[in-house]
Amino acid sequence: MHIAFRYRLLLPLITALLLIVGYPLGFSFWVSLQDYRLTAIEGATWIGIEHYIALLRNNSFWTALRNTLVFVATAVSLELLLGLSLAMLLHRRTTLGRNFFRSILLTPMFITPIAVGLMFRFLLNSQLGVITKLTEAIGLRIDWFSAQNALLTLALIDVWQWTPFMLLLLLAGLEALPEEPFEAARVDGASAWQSFWHLTLPMLRPTLLAAIVIRMLDAFKVYEYVYAITRGGPGESTETIQYHIYRVGFLYYRLGEASAMAYVLIAVILVLVVTLFYSLRRA
Amino acid sequence: MRKFYRELPPLALLLVALVVVIFPYVWTLLTSLKPEAAISRPLDWNFTPTLAHWQRVLLESNIPLQVRNSALVGLFTVGIALLLGAPAAYAFSRFRAGGSSLRFIILAAQMLPPAVLIVPFFLIMYNLKLLDSIWAVVATHLTFALPLVTWFLIGFLDDVPRDLEEQAMIDGCTQWQAFYKVILPTIRPGLGAAALFAFILSWNDLFYALLLTGKESATLPVGIASFWTFRGIEMGQMSAAIILAILPVTIASFFVQKYLVRGLGGGALKG
Repeated sequence: MHIAFRYRLLLPLITALLLIVGYPLGFSFWVSLQDYRLTAIEGATWIGIEHYIALLRNNSFWTALRNTLVFVATAVSLELLLGLSLAMLLHRRTTLGRNFFRSILLTPMFITPIAVGLMFRFLLNSQLGVITKLTEAIGLRIDWFSAQNALLTLALIDVWQWTPFMLLLLLAGLEALPEEPFEAARVDGASAWQSFWHLTLPMLRPTLLAAIVIRMLDAFKVYEYVYAITRGGPGESTETIQYHIYRVGFLYYRLGEASAMAYVLIAVILVLVVTLFYSLRRA
Repeated sequence: MRKFYRELPPLALLLVALVVVIFPYVWTLLTSLKPEAAISRPLDWNFTPTLAHWQRVLLESNIPLQVRNSALVGLFTVGIALLLGAPAAYAFSRFRAGGSSLRFIILAAQMLPPAVLIVPFFLIMYNLKLLDSIWAVVATHLTFALPLVTWFLIGFLDDVPRDLEEQAMIDGCTQWQAFYKVILPTIRPGLGAAALFAFILSWNDLFYALLLTGKESATLPVGIASFWTFRGIEMGQMSAAIILAILPVTIASFFVQKYLVRGLGGGALKG
């Protein structure tokens, strides 16, 4: 049997992906239709879409989903704002030490999130934390991990780690823009602000869109900071969806229910990405 | 002189950003060198540096074993990803195989939340008796490394002129030889950057490794995550372990940064 060269090149990858992504996805769906428990793997019974129906009335699940959405919205918008500002600063030809600043400012995105979580848990700790002590010295008493503040604190930690990703993409986007429109605008006497608002932003839109979508998809997976610092608490204030699925599946052993949650999560993300994509593209 | 003054505000802002980024690293490094008592007095600079925490971590803990496990997982993941990803990227770039929809399906696989895959993987590995082995982790890491490496390399291959393999085939190479003898060497920086980046992602993963490994197969992030109690002595050791986990990737990052955008752009940015 003769298979065209191009498909022989492709076949190993496709086979591998079917095996490690396709099959688990299907298997997971099958598990979600059963009363699958880690404590009784052999005795699972078929229950159809019961898990999905139960999810509709599951408050913890919706709380986790809402927490995740708040986390994603807060973190990604701050990252966008800071990343764009830093990218504009580093894009200026005259800025001193651009390469030095860029290589150091990008480092947080490369390190393991569990280390980031633990570092900040330590820095912000109410007794041992140097940041807490420093803010106290100027009269600010902040309980970073109280029920009101914890989710916001986790979002700020995300901002520390992932603003660099925005910076990286937006800086590349800025560097790929053509020069002529900016020169023409300067000749016509446009201010820096005008050329930013009317030229840079519109021309940067594809990059902005890609950066926002990629960051959002990634922020939805937040798990390590929660695991390192709050484990979902106080109460359910920092229970995020990925952590909740982990909890239900592996701390409560309810694998069927966890799989159903995972499928709902995919649906939510798909709807969100498609909406965002179309609304931003039309705008 | 006026020009110089105009440079001061941007420079000041960048310096603030620099301090915000560097401070956690510096503090963690300092903590790893502080004696136990000094750790609980964060603003007291009067202490004698000690290597005791580093000694404990390097000589008496499981951290070295976990470093080894992480390195092995990363190497196998990257090796397999390159072996399968490079030919596929070539097929996508040169022959438009499968059209753009297949490319995007592969990219979508990388975006899947790990929470979706962990349950089936756990059950599969349980049935295969592969729980508590690095192979279970390698399999899960391939779910993001394979799409990543493929996309990365498409970006680099698109920039290689077609004349190259046409010339090689005129000179008597087969299609396959033209690919691995002529084309692959020209994208060596791309292969290096893709490998390094995939290694970094594998090295950094906690979620999969936490659920699929046991005492013997635990990776470094799992080891770090187990320092959960906050006592002075463990803060010192935890800090040393954190430095061990982030130093190699930070150094590696200086080499990949330059290529990262080009690789990620492999389609994502060009659309």
